[in-house]
Amino acid sequence: MVASPSTADRYDRTPAQTRRVKARLQDPAVQGLVLIAPAVLVYALFAFYPMLDVIQLSFMKWNGLTAAKQWVGLDNYRYVLGDDPVFWVAFRNTLIWTALSVIFPPLIGLGLALGLNQNIPGRSPLRALFYMPVIIAPIAVATMWRWMFDPFFGLFNSLLTTAGWTNLIQDWLGDRSVALYSVFIGYVWEVAGFSMVLFLAGLQGVSQTLIEAARIDGAGRFQVFRYVTLPALRPTITIVLILSLINSLKAFDIVYGMTGGGPAQSTQMLAMWAYTQAMQLGDFGRGSAISVVLLLMTVVIVVPYLRWTLRRQEA
Amino acid sequence: MQSSRKLWCVALLGAVTMMGAGTASAQEVKVWTLTFANDSANKAWQKIVSDYEAANPGTTIRVENRGVDEHKSALRVAAGSDQGPDIYFMWAGLGLGGEFVKAGLSLPLDKYHQQYGWGDRFLPSAAAFADLYEGGKHGVPFTFKGEAIYYNKKLFEQAGITAEPTTYDELVAAADKLKAAGIPAITFGGTVNWHLMRLMDVLLETKCGAEKHDALMSMKADWTKEPCAADSFTELGKWTNQYVLSPFMGIDQAQSFNLFVANRAAMMLEGDWLVQQLSESANLDDFGMFPFPTNTNRLYGFAEYHYISTKSSNPDAAAKFLDYFTSTPVQQATLGLFSTTSVNKHVKYENLRPLDAKWVDIFNKYSAVYMNGDQAFPLDVTTEYFRVINEVASGSIDAATAASQMQSFIAKRG
Repeated sequence: MVASPSTADRYDRTPAQTRRVKARLQDPAVQGLVLIAPAVLVYALFAFYPMLDVIQLSFMKWNGLTAAKQWVGLDNYRYVLGDDPVFWVAFRNTLIWTALSVIFPPLIGLGLALGLNQNIPGRSPLRALFYMPVIIAPIAVATMWRWMFDPFFGLFNSLLTTAGWTNLIQDWLGDRSVALYSVFIGYVWEVAGFSMVLFLAGLQGVSQTLIEAARIDGAGRFQVFRYVTLPALRPTITIVLILSLINSLKAFDIVYGMTGGGPAQSTQMLAMWAYTQAMQLGDFGRGSAISVVLLLMTVVIVVPYLRWTLRRQEA
Repeated sequence: MQSSRKLWCVALLGAVTMMGAGTASAQEVKVWTLTFANDSANKAWQKIVSDYEAANPGTTIRVENRGVDEHKSALRVAAGSDQGPDIYFMWAGLGLGGEFVKAGLSLPLDKYHQQYGWGDRFLPSAAAFADLYEGGKHGVPFTFKGEAIYYNKKLFEQAGITAEPTTYDELVAAADKLKAAGIPAITFGGTVNWHLMRLMDVLLETKCGAEKHDALMSMKADWTKEPCAADSFTELGKWTNQYVLSPFMGIDQAQSFNLFVANRAAMMLEGDWLVQQLSESANLDDFGMFPFPTNTNRLYGFAEYHYISTKSSNPDAAAKFLDYFTSTPVQQATLGLFSTTSVNKHVKYENLRPLDAKWVDIFNKYSAVYMNGDQAFPLDVTTEYFRVINEVASGSIDAATAASQMQSFIAKRG
């Protein structure tokens, strides 16, 4: 039997031992580990463990009410991928939404940033104004846009009526062929300001000396933008696209608030369908299986893109 | 010294005994219910609790109110622990209520039904839901809501409709007359799936009859082998295509109501609660009401119940409180606060508005009920039911495909 050292023994170190501990703490790698340890602990507890739990749940049948969880192997995946009438609609919608999200909000954000980076009157209030939708609660944004899309009294149909273009009047959120895109317009309004702020920050790092040198060399506005500003913005563009991609894959609140996934599940998204299965229908196994598919989609799309951009930046 | 020590011992023993006695007699009944939009209902709850506590010293009723979704989530979380309520609010039927009953969270109450004579207390239409589950009677009626067709008298008159339809054919004829007069016959809000579902529910009852309708909703009959199922979807398509105020898929029930009171549509399929809403937004005398003519002699409606949890440590005290809550004096005193009518059949109604009086007549007339699809089906089937209804309403699939998709989903549940 080995006796544990007493408290006095533990603190009664020799000078050589104390020096060794101090020397170790001087090591930048050890300092780094000490500094990130709390964050790693929080991440492990609140992100990594739940993720593992969801993966485990995806192989089980559980209604969230009783303690009993039944191991069902791949049944949840088989159902979700083969028999669920909504999954592939949600999958397709998520892909469309993601493709649109990495194009339009970043483009509009870049345009706004370029405009608001100029020395124009009211620049600061305008920046705040365009950023405002980002800080409004998504459910409030959804309510506001739902009213504007109202087929009887909404802003858009009223404007079309006033302009005499009644043939263009739509049931914006009720017609399955336009509903997803109507919701997306609200989403663009909500998130474009976020891209704008990131691009504005990126533009501050573009060297004025390089721009002036290019102009002296006879470069026009577009050429300055193409050959000086855009390359300098590359790290920002990567960040904006990655964040847009991840946020779009998680799209939930604005769709939930505007259509609830309807009409006839035609605006359903994977994140919302996972929530519906687990929290509303009480099938945590299927909900988890959908979440795992979404996780895999995110990894498959984001990781190669990140590696590609990092390699380009290193080169 | 010796006597002082003895004195302390005796005092300590006395204190422990008193504490023990206190624990034995003090009872707490935890009730989890909704936060009601109508504040007078919340106040009525408080009064019932304080009156009960005054009449039953030693018993504390602790009521916790939550919004609908928070309530469901809290119950789900509580289901996995011992910290849940003694009594919880939930809708009746195999859907939401049935989920908790099936999970073993509702105590069968046959013993208390007998002990308190509840069999003679409740309206048959409200009490019928307690017998839907296996293993005994579950829950005690809290409210019962009937649903019927409200109509705009002036628009009916304008279309030349002189009497309330009493058969389905007469109703369709009335819809045709309204259409010919340029008046949309009925309004629904499509974004909330349950609103348009009501039309499908009543059409199923009409086309299939009571027995087959029940068999379809309990998933014992095959939707593809009962022609009435596809017929009902065909009728649904006909109504949404020809008679429903359009566009409707992009509006909700509240907007649909606004359009109804703005005379934009002649009819609305709503519950007894609409009388109060109408009185606040329009002249009640302008509106009439009749049950949807299904020819089955059953009323369309749903109920809200209070269930006693299997995890309750005080089921007797919980049952005693529910007995008090549903007793005639309490129900008489709170009449109109929780619902237009009471679930207690001994409650007397005086000075009723004409539409309320009509509802009381209807509740007394019907002894059988068919319930809303989202209360009858399990939750996953309800979601599919909504999807198929919306697909038919938007013209994306035909009636036969709709019936086939319903059956396919049910069959794959296993």
